[in-house]
Amino acid sequence: MSAAWASIGPRLRRVALRQSYAFALLLLVVAVAINYYLQPTFFQPGILSGNLLLFVPLMLVAVGQTVVVIGGGIDLSLGAIVSMANVIFVSLMSQEASPSRILLALAAGFLAGILAGALNGFCVAVLRFQPIVTTFATSFIFAGLALYVLPEPGGVMPPGLVNFFYINPLGLPMVLWVVIILLLLWALLRSTRYGPYLYATGGRDLSAFVSGVPVSSVRFLSYCIAGLMAAAGALALALSTGTGNPIGGTDLMLQSIVAVVLGGTRLSGGQGGVAGSIIGVVILSLIQSIVSFSGAPSSWQTLINGLIVVAALAGPGLVALLGRRRRA
Amino acid sequence: MADVSLSAQHLVKRYGGVVALADSSLDVQSGEVVALIGANGSGKSTLGKIITGAVVPDGGRLLLDGEQARFSSPQAARRMGISAVYQELSLVADMTVAENVWLANEPLALGRVRRKERKERTARLLSLFEDALGPSVGPDALVSALSPSDRQIVEILKALSREPRVMILDEATASLGGRQVERLFELVGEWKARGMALIFISHRMEEIFQIADRATVLRSGRTVGAADLKETSEQELVGLMIEGGIAEQRHIAHPGETAGEKTVLLETEDLRSSVLNGVTLQLREGEILGLGGLQGQGQSNLLLTLFGAAPHSGTIRLAGEQVRLSHPRQAMKQGLAFVPGDRGGEGLLPIRSILENLLLPSWSRYGAFLNMRRARNDSEAVSQSLRLKMGSLDHPVNSLSGGNAQKVVLGKWLMRGPKVLLLDDPTKGVDVGAKGEFYKILSDLRERGVAILLHSSDDEELVDLCDRVLVMRDGVVSRQLSGGNLNKSVLVSASVGAASSSSDSAPSGGAA
Repeated sequence: MSAAWASIGPRLRRVALRQSYAFALLLLVVAVAINYYLQPTFFQPGILSGNLLLFVPLMLVAVGQTVVVIGGGIDLSLGAIVSMANVIFVSLMSQEASPSRILLALAAGFLAGILAGALNGFCVAVLRFQPIVTTFATSFIFAGLALYVLPEPGGVMPPGLVNFFYINPLGLPMVLWVVIILLLLWALLRSTRYGPYLYATGGRDLSAFVSGVPVSSVRFLSYCIAGLMAAAGALALALSTGTGNPIGGTDLMLQSIVAVVLGGTRLSGGQGGVAGSIIGVVILSLIQSIVSFSGAPSSWQTLINGLIVVAALAGPGLVALLGRRRRA
Repeated sequence: MADVSLSAQHLVKRYGGVVALADSSLDVQSGEVVALIGANGSGKSTLGKIITGAVVPDGGRLLLDGEQARFSSPQAARRMGISAVYQELSLVADMTVAENVWLANEPLALGRVRRKERKERTARLLSLFEDALGPSVGPDALVSALSPSDRQIVEILKALSREPRVMILDEATASLGGRQVERLFELVGEWKARGMALIFISHRMEEIFQIADRATVLRSGRTVGAADLKETSEQELVGLMIEGGIAEQRHIAHPGETAGEKTVLLETEDLRSSVLNGVTLQLREGEILGLGGLQGQGQSNLLLTLFGAAPHSGTIRLAGEQVRLSHPRQAMKQGLAFVPGDRGGEGLLPIRSILENLLLPSWSRYGAFLNMRRARNDSEAVSQSLRLKMGSLDHPVNSLSGGNAQKVVLGKWLMRGPKVLLLDDPTKGVDVGAKGEFYKILSDLRERGVAILLHSSDDEELVDLCDRVLVMRDGVVSRQLSGGNLNKSVLVSASVGAASSSSDSAPSGGAA
């Protein structure tokens, strides 16, 4: 028994360090408990999945953000990319768009997302600009383009497409399908060479470089993936609202970072994973419903999001300090 | 393994206005080990980096098997069979041993990484160093959990995993333990016999004579000589390395046995930490006390603990009074100073000026509105007493050579006039000339009554410099050497725990 534990020990340690979402799971339990206390009906499957469906756009964006953060970067433009792709989808479709028209709109929106990511990636990976400043600056480009394409909220998505978003394939809620697909795609990505390359680049780019990792390409690609995920988030946003909004993605920028942080992915890079970020999104959704059930103004949500990021940044240091006190 | 020959001819490399390589050449062939030696800043590492494609030269050419080669990246060189073990570790701390060893070289099937195969192959590589590695080292261990010496082994295995035809070992033995060096040299012999060509960059003369066939000597970016090691002597090589051709004599005479009369300045009793298992020692004023033994036996942790930077239990007394050191600031107030071995990581702010680096621990003495003139004068005095070779105090620290940068680390603590100096392998990777100067500074300090606790991975340094040497093993002091017992063979055998005929053996923890 003890021998078995001895072999599990390092493994657990590794898992805990890699996917440090132990803290996220704890928060999840607390948030679930409070929600249950405030609103016992909240956890009826229908209501729960309906609520979570509103968070699918954030989930997709947070996954993209996770990839960038693991690679040692950060993308502050993802919210603006969502807005931009969102209005492209909506303005190229209409209530009775033909299938070919729909395909064209989808292609255009996703292409825009990837190109936006590629612009970020080019500036950061090739021109070696600071990720924070670069993506903050490009976010204004994308936000401006979104307003140019669609100055006012409006437009209608094809009902057939919208309805698809609300069906439950094989009896499982759509949210669950999205989670499963995201986790599978992430597992697939991690099983390729890109997995170790991404962690190595974020962990220590110099070491990765001298080991022969194409660091620039890895970084570039991480921003492209984030752009693609932002476009997917934009589509989910368009489907869940049925209409277009040129500033619809704005809130997703901070929220995606909060979800990444809650999920245990270190903002300095080289560590973490997508599963944690998805848990982070669920926690965020629960916190939001706590805020609304408790009757507090909804602006509190933003305040709480900010506090979470600050607390999460301080978290590892606090844990280390506590450990040190105890040992000394 | 197919025969291979590599020839670097008249390589030139400039960084801005600084010439790293002026005209350097090197030849190596299958089945031989060529030592590349030279003082710090002579361009050894730059030459190595050009050969491995990490740095692109400004002039000269590289011939591989007689054909001109130009590597634009480490991958390009690696595809041609050239691998390097780097001095600055190329490992990513948050990844496992297996992931690190096979990084950018993963065994693939249909674009996916074969994790099981990767693990098995890593285990096979690790078994090469089976009895020389720590117990927790396995393919799935995180590199951040390994000791520095075990990390260096992983680094070596990583280079080996690419099955290179040419392998460059850049200071690869600097942080290894004795048993690990021994095993590495056995393996080098095997690789040589299989036709690998090896370039061995090192400061340790005895190692060079042990495994290398030929030596190429660099000085200020130029190849100034090449010698068959069977026909040359250590003095001759050192002479080539140093301008003017005269080797700095670094031996410092042992003082008389006066240690017993001097007052005890620093004393510990049953000091314990995550690494230490009960260390008891006494350090007197005007004494250089050495900490020896294999690498990673708790020497660095002991120094950090005494500097208040590591959690611990046990008693520490300074000048007879018990003190509680839980933060470096407390230790500094008590007159302790700590010079870390990792000068880039812990000791210096590389892009800030020499002046600022020297003054960093001492600003509080220059008033609320800083008295810059006095600060500059004091810095000037310290830099002169250290014989710092620099353009000006305002130049950034990273414009200095390794030896001079290390003097700045020492200098910033000397500004405070410390009573106890803790040194953690201060001359690691420092060239022979700068070492000699460093030793002189230390013996001057000792004359002035400073108590010095010196950890060194260089056994000769300990024997030459110290009044007494404590040999550490598994977090305790296993032997104390002084007087007639303080010589290299006793030190080495005590380090590896070999039984000795000597009667000076002290029980663990009882060295005082």
